[in-house]
Amino acid sequence: MKTVLAFLKNPFYRVAGYTSLVWGVAGIVVATAIAFVGGVHFHGLLHYGGAPNGAWWCFVVEHLAVWLVPSVLIYLLALFCSRSHVRPVDVLGTVAFAQLPFVLLSLFMALPPMHEIVKIQSLQAADRLLSDTTWLLAVVWLGAVSLLLTIWVLYWMFRAISVACNLKGRNLWLVFIIGIFGGDILCRYLIGLCY
Amino acid sequence: MNQNETKKRLPLRCPACEAPLKVAKMVCDQCGTEVSGVFDLPVLTRLTEEEQRFMLEFVKASGSLKDMAKQMGVSYPTVRNYLDDLIEKLNNMEA
Repeated sequence: MKTVLAFLKNPFYRVAGYTSLVWGVAGIVVATAIAFVGGVHFHGLLHYGGAPNGAWWCFVVEHLAVWLVPSVLIYLLALFCSRSHVRPVDVLGTVAFAQLPFVLLSLFMALPPMHEIVKIQSLQAADRLLSDTTWLLAVVWLGAVSLLLTIWVLYWMFRAISVACNLKGRNLWLVFIIGIFGGDILCRYLIGLCY
Repeated sequence: MNQNETKKRLPLRCPACEAPLKVAKMVCDQCGTEVSGVFDLPVLTRLTEEEQRFMLEFVKASGSLKDMAKQMGVSYPTVRNYLDDLIEKLNNMEA
């Protein structure tokens, strides 16, 4: 139990490089498939919902962008901020592994109550749906779970940067903030070109 | 090892004020000759027991971080980060 908790706290203490890359890419493939079936779009690293383009390649581009854009940004920043030799495979692998909870997130977002919400196009439709208490409770519950899963991804990405780039303190926070939030903005711009 | 024999650890810091300790006396085990003075401890002996063990394993693994990671059951960057932190510590000690 203690080992499992320690692993969940920082999986990158034990897993990095090609192992994390294989697991991470497998997770991305599964998350993409679930998102395609459930019609869940990733507009950015921290934004999900509906989108006008339902083509399969659009989901693939979204998931690849969400993985590769922050990874490249983190790697480039680490070249300036870290005193250690940073391997691209560690950054790519750990970031992909850190996004494994996206599999669960895609699954939760594809569940009927969330699916209905993401399909809403007008305020009237939203009012009608939210007036139903059961649906409202389901949406709140699933929303809370989705938020927790997003926090989980962010926490693992923080750990991934710390281990893969050997960063601590101010430099770690700097790379994390620019990598995640800058990555999110860049992802949203790039993914926006698909719609 | 004798049951009454206890494994002594080399104290690195003063128990009263936490300042780094120095060597003041050395004794020849064979003839009892004593040498007195104030000598700095060698850099490697100033590392913690865990760090010294890591250094030994590192040398034994011919400096292969991949082998070290496999042996310790941790990821490659974890070992590399530990080594980098150790190098920084040694540089600070020598400065």
